Amino acid sequence: MASEIDNMGIGIKPVSIEKPAVTRNVVVPRHHPGRWLAIAILAVLALQIGQAVSTNPNFHWDIYSTYLFSPQVIRGVGWTLLLTVVAMTVAIVVAALLVIMRDSDNPILRSIAYGWVWFFRGTPIYTQLLFWGLFAVLFPNLSLAIPFGPEIVSVETKLIVTPAIAAILGLGFNESAYLTEIFRAGFNSLDRGQAEAAQALGMKPAKIWWRILMPQAMRVIIPPTGNETIGMLKMTSLVLAVPFTLDLTFATNAISNRLYLPIPLLLVAGTWYLAITSLLMVGQHFLERHFGKGVSVHPARME
Amino acid sequence: MDAHISEFCVEMQNIHKFYGHVHALKGVDLRVRRGEVCVAIGPSGSGKSTLLRCINQLESISAGRVFLKGELQGFTERDGRFHPLSKGQIATQRRLTGMVFQRFHLFPHMTALENVMEGPSHVKGWPREQARRKADELLNRVGLEGFGNRYPGQLSGGQQQRVAIARALAMEPEVMLFDEPTSALDPELVGEVLDVIKDLARSGITMVVVTHEIGFAREVGSHLVFMDQGQIVEEGHPRMMLANPQNPRTAAFLSKVL
Repeated sequence: MASEIDNMGIGIKPVSIEKPAVTRNVVVPRHHPGRWLAIAILAVLALQIGQAVSTNPNFHWDIYSTYLFSPQVIRGVGWTLLLTVVAMTVAIVVAALLVIMRDSDNPILRSIAYGWVWFFRGTPIYTQLLFWGLFAVLFPNLSLAIPFGPEIVSVETKLIVTPAIAAILGLGFNESAYLTEIFRAGFNSLDRGQAEAAQALGMKPAKIWWRILMPQAMRVIIPPTGNETIGMLKMTSLVLAVPFTLDLTFATNAISNRLYLPIPLLLVAGTWYLAITSLLMVGQHFLERHFGKGVSVHPARME
Repeated sequence: MDAHISEFCVEMQNIHKFYGHVHALKGVDLRVRRGEVCVAIGPSGSGKSTLLRCINQLESISAGRVFLKGELQGFTERDGRFHPLSKGQIATQRRLTGMVFQRFHLFPHMTALENVMEGPSHVKGWPREQARRKADELLNRVGLEGFGNRYPGQLSGGQQQRVAIARALAMEPEVMLFDEPTSALDPELVGEVLDVIKDLARSGITMVVVTHEIGFAREVGSHLVFMDQGQIVEEGHPRMMLANPQNPRTAAFLSKVL
């Protein structure tokens, strides 16, 4: 066997170690006068804009720097981050469940998943948040009971559905509808042969999802989910509808209303949103690298 | 009873398969003894791949029975009625077979070694070290020593197919199923894959091979099946059948491919 293979030449590594003696062509770089002109014009423009922004007293840069790290703003950043992360986690868990239900053999589960997406994608997020805020008015008490029988436990709704919980459920459930569609696209993009190959090995359905399909679908799922996470970060500014009053936008608005100076505090909020977005983009980069294993994009893996 | 004493490794009784109104398999009987290499040939659309996929239940059958080592596949039969098994039970039954696909279907997010280890470590639950040794040994057996850390995308078609063969062998199946294993390969790569399959055939493992390689059928096949329009038209010993086909449809097919 071994000798047959040697004869066929397949034992030889495809990469040659010796460096061939090649005299490369001498290439004279082309001149690009247009490029330099464009750079010059843009540089002048950038300087002018920079000057206009930094010297214009209406920006109130002193107020900006006073409030950029003020406790109220920092607390708003914390709450905004928390809302984003928790709501997104809720959305991902719900969407994962929905996408499995969508693929189920059970027609009831399939219709529930379909109906969920239809409802939460079809109504405005602002309306949904208002609704969650009014949940305690609709159902003053939450109770666990045997249908038409005695109650087992009962609690006041406002103790459970606090503004923070209402905001998280509102944002998370709305987002889950969009994520379901993204996840579905990810799984649909896979070759049917992948599941068949796993089945042929004797793998059970849950394991096929987890070990074979999910890691491959992630490659397609992560970029739009990153988009959605950044969208969620900014969507948290709508929780005012609940009303939830501790997030970044509410905090900076409150300060600017007190000072009658909206512009520097809008800049403060904008700076923080940009900073968090940049952080999220770094996270996305590493996730993409991890799930890009074996499919180019990862130069470190190439020989 | 679900199991009966059988001298056959694979036994298919009167298999029918419908796709909507298309009658893809029309009452096929196939018996493969332990250690036999059964080769199925025939024009495309004749149902030979479908038949192969019925053996490991990648296709459901519309009528008939499939037995592996005497065990009824996919159902329990009581009082003349068929009760389907759960997906988990079907997965367990599939461990009796290993399958090699026309288009390899390696897991692209795993290295060659991880592909081969996947079955032993995540289906059989072997410890990692044991699975790794097994995978190393199998990669050597298919002539890919030192290629374990490559991803499928970094391997040639022939190399990928050999990894796929190692992956199927890692489950130590009773029967190996090959679905046109060389049809998607560049001509110069066909030989290296066929050599690996020939070597396996000589080692005594039971195999069912769907192929267009008539030379392969003649050389290593112990049983040749010619299918056309969803039926087995003729079967017998490869050399005799290829030299002297009895059925005019077999003769017509062979005259085109030989």
